[in-house]
Amino acid sequence: MRLWLAIALASYALVAQPDPAIARGDKLFAQGCSVGYCHGAGGSAARSPRLRGRAFDRDYLIKVIRNGIPNTAMPAWGDRLTDADIGDLTGYIQSLATAPINVAAGPSTDGPAAPAIEKPIDIPAEFQNGRDLFFDLTRETRCSVCHRLNGFGTPAGPDITKSAAIKVTDGPQVLRFGRPRGVRTIVLKNGERFAGTTIERNASLTHVYDLNSNPPVLRHLQNTDIQSMQRQTNWRHRSVVRGYTVEDLQSIWNYVRFIAAKK
Amino acid sequence: MLRLAILFAAAAVLTAQDGATRENWPHYGGQTSAWRYSALDQVNAANVKSLTPVWSFQTGDNEGGLQATPIVIDGVMYISTSHNRVFAIDAATGRELWSYHYELPKGFTIFYGPWNRGVAVADGRVFMGTLDNHVVAIDAKNGRQLWKVNVEDANQCGCNITAAPLVVKGKVIVGVTGGDSAHRGYINAFDARTGRQLWRFWTIPGPGEKGHETWTGDSWKFGGGAAWMTGSFDAELNLTYWSVGNPAADFWGGNRKGDNLYTDSVVALDLDTGKLKWHYQQVPHDVWDWDTAYENVLLDLPVNGRQRKLLLNVNKGGYTFVVDRVNGEFVAAWPLVNNLNWITGVGPKGELLGRNEPVVGKSKIICPSIGGGRSWNQGAWSPRTGMFYSTGIEWCEDVVAVPETPKEGQVYFGGTFKLTHKPLKGEAGGHLGAYDPVTGKRAWLYEYKYPLLASVLATAGDVIFTGDADGFFFALDAKSGKKLWSFQTGSGHRGSAVTYSVNGRQFVATPTGWGSALAGLLPQIWPETERLRSGSAVFVFALPEPAK
Repeated sequence: MRLWLAIALASYALVAQPDPAIARGDKLFAQGCSVGYCHGAGGSAARSPRLRGRAFDRDYLIKVIRNGIPNTAMPAWGDRLTDADIGDLTGYIQSLATAPINVAAGPSTDGPAAPAIEKPIDIPAEFQNGRDLFFDLTRETRCSVCHRLNGFGTPAGPDITKSAAIKVTDGPQVLRFGRPRGVRTIVLKNGERFAGTTIERNASLTHVYDLNSNPPVLRHLQNTDIQSMQRQTNWRHRSVVRGYTVEDLQSIWNYVRFIAAKK
Repeated sequence: MLRLAILFAAAAVLTAQDGATRENWPHYGGQTSAWRYSALDQVNAANVKSLTPVWSFQTGDNEGGLQATPIVIDGVMYISTSHNRVFAIDAATGRELWSYHYELPKGFTIFYGPWNRGVAVADGRVFMGTLDNHVVAIDAKNGRQLWKVNVEDANQCGCNITAAPLVVKGKVIVGVTGGDSAHRGYINAFDARTGRQLWRFWTIPGPGEKGHETWTGDSWKFGGGAAWMTGSFDAELNLTYWSVGNPAADFWGGNRKGDNLYTDSVVALDLDTGKLKWHYQQVPHDVWDWDTAYENVLLDLPVNGRQRKLLLNVNKGGYTFVVDRVNGEFVAAWPLVNNLNWITGVGPKGELLGRNEPVVGKSKIICPSIGGGRSWNQGAWSPRTGMFYSTGIEWCEDVVAVPETPKEGQVYFGGTFKLTHKPLKGEAGGHLGAYDPVTGKRAWLYEYKYPLLASVLATAGDVIFTGDADGFFFALDAKSGKKLWSFQTGSGHRGSAVTYSVNGRQFVATPTGWGSALAGLLPQIWPETERLRSGSAVFVFALPEPAK
């Protein structure tokens, strides 16, 4: 009965959704560009220039792929690839801009991977107000501080579109009185106590979002430093939606439901 | 009587700001007063010619060069590179202790550039701002990430963090870029231990706040005001000083009529609350992209016979402003460059005279160019010589203002520009000068064919160190400007040299590695600079050890 009141999330793990266009570009790159002595696996450079870890202008890449570079080993691909192929390839090469080059050490945390950047869904005018409220940078407390949606925001809280509560039409009720099941009271051995969401736990570390801060902080806690993590919590979703009116919350909810329906 | 005089002298020394570094280089600007001056004098004007390389460290990532200031604490050097990598290095031997690689989201597109200008270190932690607008804390022992906090979604705000944070009294204070985006700037303080946000100062006041009336319509939401370099701190006043960059759009102010507070201003904030104590706006209603963004040098000097607590700040427009750091009162302003035509001068109260603004749809020559009468690379203050040492750039641009509609997080520039081959006076080029910090009276000038884009280091050995675009790291006599020594590091200089000591031996360390947005502008005037090679390494020098 009160299930719908729970802004609940079965799972906090956000599975990174690879952009299909970039995946196609990756395949094309492996077939045509990294072969032989050319750009190397993942653009890491063989005999031809390194593409990994470098930022290129999109129009420049399209031009070079299409026409090649005269007097160099770079051939023109314009008659072998379609414009769509070249577009995907360009997207893939641009996605390599932030890839590690040759630094042996990987990321220095075994915590959750940062959510991949997805291309946002276009928002029809009727949901624009809800979108603007969700991401309103003029409010220090706004939905996107804790929720990632449609390509923006921090995933401290759950993916709302996957919440059971998304079926409910009375958004303000859910947002004001819902009791998030994922929030716990975390007590550390040094006496510190705070509300947090657990993102991941492994043999040595627990990764939590500390909700006693706005914006929430992703903390990588040593398991041995944790006294307890209790489900009972005084944290209420109400405390973070106070700045929005009931009408605002309804607009936000309509927008969230629109995104959920598109997924 | 003599004894009394000595006592007085001692007292004066004690109360005066001591901004000199010694064994360590603990903060971005040396100490939190940003002097970039070391009391070490083992290396001095007489023996600097014997300076010898001791070790070098290749970071392996030369995209955008190496723009950082190393931090050195207790024999360990911490340095960040492009793409938010951090290395901890044995400062005496160059041995890597650990490395850290920040993980950017897959598919993330870097805007502005991949560089990072430094970390802050305190209480066994290393702090850094990131390309996707997070702040992270790293364990100084092993390079493990302890916390990270997303300040604002980078893809939404069109902003990121490249400056080194300032860390004092358990607070990590950091600004944000985004001055050329439709974005509203801020300065944030985070708890060093937990990462929790302690306060935020909006550099553009919101509705109902004082100063909001200096913006028309919605312009305050998109007005820039990026605090994109590192602030200073005065422990006695408990004030932290930050410089706020240009208003957006850069070249066109038609929809943001008014002074546009607190852009192009120095703001003094209470360290504990982030509340504004005073502000001093150098350029009201800026339409030239004249950021007040660079270092705030805190120095105590007599002015008209009265000892005053001063703050010196070089504006990008090529004027140096000196104010009283207790109350923000204007003290003096003086030009750093010859090519300067956006104003005819600064009046006795700090007012700008004879404004020469870009015009919509019509080209106009403005000097200095958008690259600035100086870039962000910092100057140095030597209390021994009483001189402020700063680079300066002679160049102009042809600018056209273009009205533009802001779109959240998108580039919001309001015009186009092109550097001109010849400035109004003399030749285009760079220089490093020694100036009286209050009057601007110049003692000497060292000239160079290109802009000098590395920070300046001053020492008690009366040596001035900096590096040039051709790859030379060199030493000048602090009193005469005479070149005493130079060394070719293989790539140009865009970072900040430091000095420190380990077991009584003084080391001088410089990042080397040409790059940056500004370096990319140079070929417009000097086509051959397109061929300047990139790099990313630290070179460390010392006097030869006596034979055993």
